[in-house]
Amino acid sequence: MIVAKLIDTSLCIGCKACEVACQEWNDQEFKPQPEFLGTYQTQPELSHNFWNLIKFNEIEQDNKMVAWNMSKYQCMHCADAGCMKACPAPGAIIRHANGTVDFVHDKCVGCGYCITGCPFDVPRLSPKDNKVYKCTLCSDRTAVGLEPACIKTCPTNCLTFGERDDLLFQAEARAKELQSDGHTSAGVYNPAGVGGTNVLYVLKDASKPEQYGLPKDPTIPWTVSLWKGPLKALGTMALAGGVLGAFFHYLKFGPQQEEAPDED
Amino acid sequence: MKIERFTFTERAVHWMTAISFVYAGLTGLALWSHKLYWIASVFGGGPATRFAHPWAGTVFAVVLGLMFRSWVSSMRLDAQDQVWLRKSLQYAMNDHHGVPDAGRFNAGQKMLFWTQAVAALVLFASGFVLWNPTWMPRAARLIAILVHPAAALVSITGIILHIYMGVFVVPKALHAMVRGEVTPGWARAHHRAWYAGLKGK
Repeated sequence: MIVAKLIDTSLCIGCKACEVACQEWNDQEFKPQPEFLGTYQTQPELSHNFWNLIKFNEIEQDNKMVAWNMSKYQCMHCADAGCMKACPAPGAIIRHANGTVDFVHDKCVGCGYCITGCPFDVPRLSPKDNKVYKCTLCSDRTAVGLEPACIKTCPTNCLTFGERDDLLFQAEARAKELQSDGHTSAGVYNPAGVGGTNVLYVLKDASKPEQYGLPKDPTIPWTVSLWKGPLKALGTMALAGGVLGAFFHYLKFGPQQEEAPDED
Repeated sequence: MKIERFTFTERAVHWMTAISFVYAGLTGLALWSHKLYWIASVFGGGPATRFAHPWAGTVFAVVLGLMFRSWVSSMRLDAQDQVWLRKSLQYAMNDHHGVPDAGRFNAGQKMLFWTQAVAALVLFASGFVLWNPTWMPRAARLIAILVHPAAALVSITGIILHIYMGVFVVPKALHAMVRGEVTPGWARAHHRAWYAGLKGK
């Protein structure tokens, strides 16, 4: 059973209770911003000890009024995960049977390739232990039948946890409801470029996910795919070919003559 | 009678380059493919390998710079080298008829020098970008993550050829790089134009 999180952005009131719950459950210190940044957003982006951020996206509407497009930003738990593809350490990034992408810090070497491979720019390198951290989808809670801490604490039912197929169905129904309420471009954010995500969004305007701080068509970067695909095959052939070529060259032609006679 | 082929400084710089290259190369290969990750255990495990790789690369950058400075003046390709390169297949089959006499370095060695120099430049630049993911913008890292292994493959393939030539194909070439001296007969056989120049002095 693949589990997922559904985030109905139309119901988010920006209370940030999920941020607090995430910090508490994962035993992270709270680090206030040293100065006011002109926004209610807790901090500009995710960090190694802050895995769940409510983005207060300020959007100017047609009537010149500014609206907040709240969105919850964290690991998307992609079906085709760029971090997993880029990771050089076997077993450092794993996928649980329920679809959750999790980092195993004992095996993480701290190279940061997952940060480059992630189309959502989610993982963060900790300066303390030089390992990479992100949302675990509370795998330590879901493993024993509990829902993630952010879901548990959400006061508006903006967040739902459950079986992915059920949530997709629910999301589509909610998008239709929003459409009939006049949000004609309401829809579900479940980007196909990464094989779908285990974090699903209902957006009031799904045609412009950027307005919610989400990339429009995220895919695993082509340089990562090329490096881990054809280049790897080509490289193996070049290295093995070089060694084998040298071996057979020696069998066929052998060494050059060591010395030339004195002609003087 | 012995002829000095490489000074002590040249040999020391060459072998420092070689050792740092092998260290950076093996730690790099360990992180390049899951199938080669076992190499990391030789270097103290994954995190130690990841830590050592860029530092080995930095040492390699410095000593390669010294090697470049001391040899670059002997590495310019001339008209004779063009002919040599056209006959390189024949040279590879140990048929040296019509292959131009080599100077201190033959055209193959010069090509290796320039290939390694260019590959190393790419490796240093992209390696710096990848050293710490917080130093450079994502766009730079996305390019670096591809060109770093690509340049490394060119470099390693070149070095496989270099080691094969130096250790197996040309007898006493390894000795020349270790102890710095060759016999007149060796110089005549492998670097005739260089030998003629020395004799003319």
